[in-house]
Amino acid sequence: MKNISFIIIFRFSVFLILLCGLYSCELPVTSFEDVEDAVYYYKYQPVAPQPGSTIKVTTWNIRFGIGRGEWFGDACGTKAIYTEAEVLPNLQLIVDRINQVKPDILLLQELDINSKRSGYVDQLKWIMDRTYFGYAVYGLQWQAQFIPSDGLGRLHEANAILSRWPLASATRIQLALRGDQDKLTRYFYERPCMVQAKVEIPGVTDFYAVNIHASAFATDDTKYKHFAAFKEELDNIANSGGWFVAGGDLNTLPPGSDSIDFCYEDICLGESFHQPGDDPQHKEGSNYAPEEEWLKPLYDKYKCAVPLNDYQQNQPAYFTHTTEPELTFNRTLDYLFTNSNWNPKSTVTHQDFFYESDHAPVSSEVVLIRK
Amino acid sequence: MRLKQILFFAIIFCATHGLTQESKLLSEWSYNTANLMPAGKWESGLIQPFRYGINEKIEVRSDILIMPFIPNAGVLIAQGTKNDISFASEHSLSIPTPFLNFFSMEGTGGLISSEYDFSFILSVYNAFLASKPITKNTLVTAKIGYAFSVRSEKPDPNSTIDLPVFYPRMAHYYEGTSIRPGVALKIKLGDKWFYEEGVQAFIITRPENNFFLENTGTLMWTVGGSWRIRGGYILAYGKYPYKTPKWQLWPTFDVVFGSR
Repeated sequence: MKNISFIIIFRFSVFLILLCGLYSCELPVTSFEDVEDAVYYYKYQPVAPQPGSTIKVTTWNIRFGIGRGEWFGDACGTKAIYTEAEVLPNLQLIVDRINQVKPDILLLQELDINSKRSGYVDQLKWIMDRTYFGYAVYGLQWQAQFIPSDGLGRLHEANAILSRWPLASATRIQLALRGDQDKLTRYFYERPCMVQAKVEIPGVTDFYAVNIHASAFATDDTKYKHFAAFKEELDNIANSGGWFVAGGDLNTLPPGSDSIDFCYEDICLGESFHQPGDDPQHKEGSNYAPEEEWLKPLYDKYKCAVPLNDYQQNQPAYFTHTTEPELTFNRTLDYLFTNSNWNPKSTVTHQDFFYESDHAPVSSEVVLIRK
Repeated sequence: MRLKQILFFAIIFCATHGLTQESKLLSEWSYNTANLMPAGKWESGLIQPFRYGINEKIEVRSDILIMPFIPNAGVLIAQGTKNDISFASEHSLSIPTPFLNFFSMEGTGGLISSEYDFSFILSVYNAFLASKPITKNTLVTAKIGYAFSVRSEKPDPNSTIDLPVFYPRMAHYYEGTSIRPGVALKIKLGDKWFYEEGVQAFIITRPENNFFLENTGTLMWTVGGSWRIRGGYILAYGKYPYKTPKWQLWPTFDVVFGSR
């Protein structure tokens, strides 16, 4: 009888433990709902500053804190894993620049939160702890327990909005997955998203920040779908009487760009493109020819911090990205849009921020619409 | 699976117990106990190592399937019986270097980044086991073991495979000794059904990421002849290089066969 009771109690304990385990089970890859809550970060509860007539907004793809490192995925490198000791100095450079520029709202892309490739540093917390921002939200663009490729391992990559003022109604909006990948690759690959939040600035009517990181390497119409979804979201805000500042890394060129094919600029040793028999003919993410008009609807309806005319008259002045670790920026991929107005002459493309990332940040001052 | 269904099966499972028949527990499932394979008999599984009874005192074993990647061999030596408790010691050697270098590669299948190379590593494992029947159909086994590595140089600490099950078992390749206490309870549920519940800890003698716990539950069905199918779970807890989460639940499966 004693032994039977022991066995019953023992087995029941097993099931209790299993129940706990079921709720903690982590799938190999996390997929997302079409729209779900973003994750909030709070550093402290500061006294929210009273804004002037304008606030400064910056967008920056910080390349998960590896600076100009020769990463295998986008710079013809052989290195996949960076240690904490390698990442933290680059993050410090980024923090120094943020504290120098002092944006009121910061849109960050390619922010790693606890990824093996960047030393398992929670980069959002690290940046928040060393800057003046009191509020942030993020949406994960890539969440995998273990990627069995190139030793990537655990990967959590996010888009984040940092703000001096409280953020509310923050949502993560799923964008289309790449249609040009096989199912297995797509399962483990990133899931692009937008992050949107209402910025609760005192005395300012409904004001939103929207951060997007469109697909970098899709060779089909995936990017077009991203731009359409982006514009649709901005239209929804505008149509409901709201105001926004929106932007990020759109991974395509403005209409009218002189150079639209970067296969030779981005080519790695052993690769060949544009030659008869080459398959593929173009390097993934380097040929923008099919995309020339894809951003036109955005430019037509909303105000870009760098007006299209200004860009077309002096394109190199607004370049924000390169794949070459040693060279300066050679194309424009990063944008800021608003349905309000930009403060004239306030836009800066920070091309002097050379070592912090393979993207230059773009800053501008947006006019606030008071209640 | 809804909570009500889980609880229903939990009650059914907890209400059943071993039948009062002559126990075949050890003849069907002596792996992970202090009891050896009978002399001249063998068994193997997809996951469970191949075991062969040399004589009453010595059993040899090896993970045949992973041999091309991890050459390995071991013995289980009977250390006698006292007060109905059987004692045995387990000793094994393995060389994980081919596995580590093979999966350190570019592209799909690269569990480890190709920027890391691994020099020769010899993994040594020793354990002491004690098994005692509680009832005719229940056997408890306690085990204390330790593993250490002999190597020409320490692998880069960033070349770890940061997954439950893998990480604690590979920890001593990098640093420290892995001390592994554990206990397991085997139960005969019926003529063809058996169950094992176990807990094992991995205590690594190093300052960080040094404690792991695994709870395993395995149900075994004797299909017929020597064929047995096992399925269950591993519930793992540990301090991994990533801070959270700490708990993981994985399924397990094995097919075991052998001589009769």
